[in-house]
Formats: sequence, C-alpha cells, structure tokens
Amino acid sequence: MTDISIPPTPTATPTRSLTERLGNELSFVPVAVGLIALFLFFATQSDVFLTSRNLSNLLVQSTVTGIIALGLVFVLLTGEIDLSVAATSGVASVFMAKLVMDFGLPVPLAILAGVALGGIVGAASARWVTLIGVPSFVVTLGVGLVLNGIQLLLLPRTGRYNLMNSGVDQLAATHVTGPMAWGLVLCAIVLFALVMGSTWRSRQRAGLSASFNAGVLLPVVIVALFLVGVLIFLENQRGLPMPVILFLALLGIMSYITSETRFGTYLYAIGNNAEAARRAGIKVDRIKITAFAIAGGMAAFGGILSASRSLGVSVSSGGGVGGGALLLESIAAAVIGGVSLFGGRGMVVGALFGALIIATVSNGLNLMGVANEARLIVTGLLLVVAVSIDRGIERLARPG
Amino acid sequence: MTQPILSLRGITKHFGGVKALTDVSLDLEPGKVVALVGDNGAGKSTLVKVMSGVHRPDSGTYQFEGREVAVSNPAEVADMGVQTVYQDLALCDNLDAVQNLFLGRELTGPWYTGYRVSRAAAERRAKEVLKRLRLDSISLTRNVGAMSGGQRQNIAIARSILWEPKVVLLDEPTAALSHSAAEQVGDLVRELASHGLAVLVISHDIHHFVLDNTDRIEVLRLGRNAASFNSKDVTGEQVVNAMVGGNEAVNMAG
Repeated sequence: MTDISIPPTPTATPTRSLTERLGNELSFVPVAVGLIALFLFFATQSDVFLTSRNLSNLLVQSTVTGIIALGLVFVLLTGEIDLSVAATSGVASVFMAKLVMDFGLPVPLAILAGVALGGIVGAASARWVTLIGVPSFVVTLGVGLVLNGIQLLLLPRTGRYNLMNSGVDQLAATHVTGPMAWGLVLCAIVLFALVMGSTWRSRQRAGLSASFNAGVLLPVVIVALFLVGVLIFLENQRGLPMPVILFLALLGIMSYITSETRFGTYLYAIGNNAEAARRAGIKVDRIKITAFAIAGGMAAFGGILSASRSLGVSVSSGGGVGGGALLLESIAAAVIGGVSLFGGRGMVVGALFGALIIATVSNGLNLMGVANEARLIVTGLLLVVAVSIDRGIERLARPG
Repeated sequence: MTQPILSLRGITKHFGGVKALTDVSLDLEPGKVVALVGDNGAGKSTLVKVMSGVHRPDSGTYQFEGREVAVSNPAEVADMGVQTVYQDLALCDNLDAVQNLFLGRELTGPWYTGYRVSRAAAERRAKEVLKRLRLDSISLTRNVGAMSGGQRQNIAIARSILWEPKVVLLDEPTAALSHSAAEQVGDLVRELASHGLAVLVISHDIHHFVLDNTDRIEVLRLGRNAASFNSKDVTGEQVVNAMVGGNEAVNMAG
C-alpha cells in the first residue's frame, strides 16, 4: 500500500500490541467475527437463512433491542446501570398511544412526547442516584416497577390500544426504495468520510503522523461496503425498512458523540475514575444525568418502534412486568458487544453487533426448528462466552 | 539568593485541639527544587494543602510573587500558577496520555460540532511539552493504564505544568516507585527547575531521591520548622537526625 502521510517524526512512539488495540478501538472485532461465524453456521443449516427476505426480518427484529441497548451504553460507560429501560420503553409507548388514541394528538407530536417522557424518567432516576448516593441498580429497579404500575394505569379497560391505521403503524411499515434509498446511503457515507477526513487533515496540518489509507480510506470503504451491501440486499425485498434506517442513523450519531466529543470523553473518564474526573473539573453528576436521559429517551423510542411494529400496546409492552426478556436482551446486547458493566470500556457500535447476534441466534434457531427453550439457553451461553473473551483480552492488554 | 516566588511566614493551623502546624515558614525560589521532609505526622501534607488552597491557615501570611494573597480555594491557587500533584495521580487508566493531559480542559470545536475534541491540536501541544521535559519516550496513544508507575507519575507531573504554572508541588511522587522509576521522576524534577519553575517535593526517600535531586531540604518536626540544609552539604544521617529530633535545629542554607 502506498502511504500519502508525511514521514513519521524521528521520535517514533512505540507501536501498540494487537491485544492492546483489541481492548480499545478494535473492541468490536471479536464480536463481529462471532457474528460472521454465526451467519456461516446458520447458512449451512437452513436454505432460507441467507435470503433477503429473512435477513430483512432479522435486521428489523434487532432494531428495538438495538436502540434500547444503544442508549444503555451511555449509562454503562459511566459505570452505572439502568434496569428500568424496558419499563421506560413500555410506559412511553403506552403514553404515546394514549395521546394519539384518547387525545387525538398528531402522531409525530405524540412520539416526541413519549421520547421526552423517557428522557425525563432517566434524568429523574439519575438525579436521585447522584443526590442521595443510592446505587443506580437499586433506584432503577424500583423505578422500573413504578413505571410498570403507571403503564397499567394508563391502559384502557380493554388492556390494549390498537394502533392499526392510527398512523403510528406507518413508522415501522414504511420502506424507502430507489433513488431515495441510495441518496440516504450516499449521505451517510459522505458524512462519515467528512468526519474521518477532517481528523486526518487536522493531524496532517499539525505535523502529526497521519495515514490516509488507515485513517480514512479503509474505514470509509468498510462502512460504504456495509451500507451498500445492506441496501442491495434489502432492495430485493421491499426496500430499506424505516426501523433499520432509524437504528443506523442513531448508531452513527451516538458513535460520533461518544468517540469524538468532549461529552464522550467525559463518559469514559467518569467510568474509569470518577474522582479523577471530578478533580479535573468535570461536572460528574451532570454528565451522568445526561447519560441516563439519553438512555431513557432511546428506550422510549425503542418502545414506540416496537408498538408501531406490533400494531398496538398492552400490558406486555416493554417486556411485561419487570422488563422480562426485553430488559435482559438489551443489557446482553450491550455486554456481548463489548461494553463493560464496570464502566469506561466499550463502543457504541457494540450495541449493533450485540443486538444482531441475539437476533441471529433467535432467527437461525427458529429456522432450524429448534424450540424456544434452546434459544434462551444458547443466548445465555453466548453472553457468558462473549464476556469471558472480553475479559481475557482486557487482561492481556494490561502490563506485567 | 534569588527572590522567593512563594513565601510562607508564621503559618499556624489547628484541627480542633490538634496543632498541625505552628509558626512554619517556607520559601520557594524559581529554578530551585526544595524537599520537604519529616516524620509521619510532622505536618508535610498539611503544609502542602495550605499552599494549594485546600486548607486555610489560622494565622500567618502567604506571599506569591512578592504580594500577600488571601487563598481560599484550590482552583484560585491553580489559576494563580501553583499546581499540585497528589499521590494518587488522578489519572484515567482507560484514556491515553493526551486525553489525560487535557482532561477537563479539552480543546474543542464550536458548539455545532457538539464540542468535538480537537485531538490533533492537543496531541501537538502534548508532544511539545513532553519533548521539552525530555519525556518523548512516553507514548501519546497508549492507555496510561498500560504504562509503568514512573511513566504514570511523569504524565501526572506533565499535566500539572501543561498550563505553564510557576510553582509545582509534588506530594510523595516516588512513594510507590521502583528505584529506576524514581530516578526518572528525579530527572523530570530537575528538568522542571531548569525551566525556571519553583518545585517542592515531599519525599521519604532521603538517600536515593532527596540528596540527589533537590537544592535545599526543609525539615518539619511536630508541625514546626526543624532544620534547613543545602542538599549538597549534608549527609543523610544529618537529615534523619533533624527529622527525629536527634540534633538541635541547624541552618546551613543561609
């Protein structure tokens, strides 16, 4: 490969080992490899698995868990946890449905109100955690149950709002095709290239080592191949499903926030050493409250998307009482994706891979005719294996 | 003798009924390294906390650049140009050297970029500072958690001087370090002084660190000034005697 970068300065920094990089910016690689392995396995087991119809379903299946996990990553990075995300998604979706069905609010406004409710719930839990110093898992466990109760209160006597033809159903049912879809993908690629390119250019201007190939070309090609691949595959079907577009857009925005902005740096700093962050002048409480608000808002949006897909809300929205499988799978998605429960480690893109792995196992085993109980067992084992691999890498990356 | 940049006179500090410091005086001069030594409980840390603005003295004067200052909080003291590096370093192990150096003071883009961190500018500045301190062997892109104790200590010190202070206070920089790592820190301390900074170092390591790397040794005992030595005219035994009270206080620093 030719390198367009300026010659490296004589004071070359020692190269970092592969394990060290796997513990940092490449932390998503093991889970991506795992996902590919699962794909290959299921492709050999079922003729249907690799069809575009099935992959389209699989992608859409992963979006609700994925979006909730995406928000949860912010909280996990600060070393806290939010066990109320599933309940938040449930109560926000019921709240949104009530606004549309009982009060006739326009759908976009109702969706915004639902997301805002989620954000407020998250911020309020975090305020309590930071004010009183009660561990976040206790506060959010309690808040989750409270929200379950409120969800029941908000539901009509029938126990269900039917959202068929309410307009809410359009959120999940819309597919984007043709030039519009290509335009979206092109936009995403250009934005990503601009971000990577500006990093490269500013490094070059500052006289620092900057490789165009490794820093811009390679990441842009990978992202472009992924997005174009998804597009071509789904074009065969009915086009890009709106949930997938929204999930990927949110993923891009959240990746930018965590890896490029000052707020993102503070999330990592707090997760590793909150006292050091505080002494450096970082307003730790404010950052944590913001992280919980993002998690709450994203959970609410995930719940609304779920309501739109299932054409209604009920007692079981948000995983039912206690959050059920939705809560566990959202946490599992983040953790399988390499996000540490102890704070300070992991990447937002891990939520995508984690959610895809969970959806793939579920979808693939389903196609193989394996019963539900086996699906749970396999997902649980995957979680343990993924975290074990992650820990192993972390240990290798440490000195001595 | 050079004019002191930071000068304490008659500092007294009580905690309830306990007298932590009684009538303590101390001068720090630009380009000089002063060691603050003393037995456990002699008042070293309390004195550093008075200087860094954590504690307010009950009586006594605090002069900085020839003017008396009323010091009330650590941020004020830091803004004035006095930086303190505490023993626990306060580094984030999951961030690299550049991120740690600029933590809480990131150079960022405008609001519409979401305050995007200007990594390149920070890295160039970090490179300059580390080079000036002859610390260019430290990797800028490795997580500091993967670094040795001496390197971590040096990053913490480099962070304190990033914004060009005039005085640096180091609380036990060699306490948890191996002999060779302590030597690295000693090199850095002398380097700081050669750039005209006034440096104060608390250390227990008289023989291996203090005698080799400092210009003057101030001994505290039971919260009082016990002795002051020129580092090159004194033996370890004399210093230790002054610390534990074996000899009468002597003043050879002039």
